[in-house]
Amino acid sequence: MPVAGRKQPPVAVEKEEAVVTSTISGREWELPGMWNRMFEPRVLRDYGSKGFAEVIKHPGAESLEWCYGCAKCVPVCPVDVVGEYGPRKIHRKVQTGMDLFSSPDLWLCTTCANCLRVCPKEVNMVNIMPAAREVAVGEGKVPNELQDVFEKTFRYGNALGENPRRRHAWTKDAGVPVRVLPSDPSPVDVLFYVEDYWSYHPRGKQAAQAFARIATAAGLDFAILGPEEKTLGDSQRLAGEKGLFESLMEDVAATLSKYDFTRIVTPDPHGFNALKKHYPRYGHTYEVEHYTQTLAPLVDKLSFPKAIDKKVTFHDPCYLGRHNGEYDAPRTLLAAIPGLDLVEMGRCKQNGYCCGGGGGGMWLDGFTANYTNERLSERRVREAAETGAEILAVCCPYEVSRFEDAAKSTGNEHLKVVDIVELLDYAMGGPSSIGAAVGS
Amino acid sequence: MSNQSVVVIGGGPAGLRAATTVAELGERVTLIEQRSFLGGTPIAENYASLTPHLHSAEESIGAIVTRLQGLPGVEILTETEVQSLQGEAGDFTVSVSGPGGNRDIAAGAIVVATGFQHFDPGRETQMYGYYEYPDVVALQDLEAMIKDGNIVRPSNGETPKRICFIQCVGSRDRQIGNEYCSKVCCGVASKEAIEVREAIPDSEVFIFYIDMRMYGYWESQIYWPAQEKHHVQYVKGIVTEILRKEDKLLVRGEDTTMGRPMEVMMDMVVLSVGMEPSAGTRKIAGVLGINQNKYGFIDVANPPLDTVSTSRDGIFAAGAALGPADLEDCSSSGGMAAARAVALMRRAVAAG
Repeated sequence: MPVAGRKQPPVAVEKEEAVVTSTISGREWELPGMWNRMFEPRVLRDYGSKGFAEVIKHPGAESLEWCYGCAKCVPVCPVDVVGEYGPRKIHRKVQTGMDLFSSPDLWLCTTCANCLRVCPKEVNMVNIMPAAREVAVGEGKVPNELQDVFEKTFRYGNALGENPRRRHAWTKDAGVPVRVLPSDPSPVDVLFYVEDYWSYHPRGKQAAQAFARIATAAGLDFAILGPEEKTLGDSQRLAGEKGLFESLMEDVAATLSKYDFTRIVTPDPHGFNALKKHYPRYGHTYEVEHYTQTLAPLVDKLSFPKAIDKKVTFHDPCYLGRHNGEYDAPRTLLAAIPGLDLVEMGRCKQNGYCCGGGGGGMWLDGFTANYTNERLSERRVREAAETGAEILAVCCPYEVSRFEDAAKSTGNEHLKVVDIVELLDYAMGGPSSIGAAVGS
Repeated sequence: MSNQSVVVIGGGPAGLRAATTVAELGERVTLIEQRSFLGGTPIAENYASLTPHLHSAEESIGAIVTRLQGLPGVEILTETEVQSLQGEAGDFTVSVSGPGGNRDIAAGAIVVATGFQHFDPGRETQMYGYYEYPDVVALQDLEAMIKDGNIVRPSNGETPKRICFIQCVGSRDRQIGNEYCSKVCCGVASKEAIEVREAIPDSEVFIFYIDMRMYGYWESQIYWPAQEKHHVQYVKGIVTEILRKEDKLLVRGEDTTMGRPMEVMMDMVVLSVGMEPSAGTRKIAGVLGINQNKYGFIDVANPPLDTVSTSRDGIFAAGAALGPADLEDCSSSGGMAAARAVALMRRAVAAG
């Protein structure tokens, strides 16, 4: 029994496996331990404030202790829907002795901010998680697959571990000239910050090419950094690698200072979030737009000779919508496409359901699978399919690969996952990479 | 000014406010208090500070006593009790007995402010062991320790390092008969928790609750600071068993958030006892012939917008005699009852 003041907290011994020797044959049987734990509810004994003290001393994590247990976060937490995890449960678990820095719970939050949206006490997981993860990162307690991405990012400047010199390889097949600033550093209006997945992922490259064609048709003066581009690192920051984020930021800021541009346009809501909210805290302030915000005011100037006679549903990226308040620009673009019929999912706009990719979740699918009964992306794809849509439109580079995988694994192959930029490009008569998806 | 006075029965926060208001309105007032001192339960039960502002109880209540004593037309009778009542509204005769013997007072109207008493947790003795375990105390016991500046475990005089409050003791309970919420205990427990954390910085303080009822500004005045600034640990789920374990107390309940049984060792357990009508309130209702509700508090005749009229014309009630009330309620209803009493008396005089 624990004795206050000088107590030895009881340690629950949980054997993952037990070896039982048969008294008849002498043979040894391995038994998993989880089944018998299910019969006995473990008694909570170790209540206290010390767990909070350990967490809240890290700047950003103060609000963990503020939870008063109303449970508003539980129904809106995308992870809670598919597993045992829940924001308010973290509060109680820390109160009852859980070491957050060693707990799997530390890595399940996608920082989608839906709990914060409804939290009356403003318990801010978007700040708590990176602060606590930074401690775990410092102690080397990082899931291997995430550590691998940190190292790739550190070494190559992108999360995929791709060759930095091939950053702009996609421009070859764009069908329009794309100016690369290091080769032609004259002043430019739009600095197109391509980010990792549009630079390297096959489907992302097609989207980047589509953007280049639309921008050219719209008369935008734009250029890219090419081999000098590095990721803006927002998801690495949220996954706990603040040091890596800061070092990337200094590199990026130094690169940007060499060129004369008016605004930065990026397809990545995560990078957008970094430039909008976090770079300014370090004195690096830029005019920044998500590509949907850049194109939405231009739709009247564009012509759409081809119709897309399809039912389309749209997934709001957490970091464009909830984090930065932009819900209209993507919908303006979709509405401009002739024939397109937009049907909203039940969870949309402010209550959009997370794809599971945020806050480092993009690189934790293997880890997360151990603690959830299905992927968030699978859950989301099933919601999209329930609308009867044939196309799931997205505007975050993480989502195409996530939702394509999920469409296959949930038996919804008929649901095509397409970036809005590709839909626009098709309707404008661009060389179609998505003809199979949108063709009648 | 007529030769009548308003008789205020009870010298606690509500009665003091009522008597002061009558005097401020220019009428005579006689304040009758059975104890030898004014201030009511907050003083009699050694409250350290008042909820929610944590001002000293003695200073806050002392200020209003001083104000009352300085007003003209005020008569204060301590150690005095009401024996009987004759007459009717506008022309009552109140018979009292006190140190100077019996006397009759001509009263135009009467304000009853006889207050509450703390629920006796001995009535739940099997559950919490209030009289069995020295280290199980009630809110007012801890108040007295805080006032003394000496918070110790009654069993051995040591400083407690783990203290928990158990909410809703004697309230919201059909079996006990107190089906009402006592309104103030969530705030008072949180206030005392803050004071314990300040007095014993290395202590761990817990509050086990059904739901925290911190209405109005108390939410941000007490509850949130207790949790966010003073690190008081709030756990949803009520303790239903206290067992002696060596020289500590093992409290057992359910953690309803996690859906698990819970067992925690404590040095001291504080029962957040609710309010019941005081013996004086029960008695005066019979003496004056006014209705009580099923819980024994004075019944309000015309709820909800008339908060102070009783079943008998000319008799008003205020404060916790009407039911669970915080100090703000008591002061408000005290002033209201006084205004109504003065108005009635003036109408009676005008009517001749």
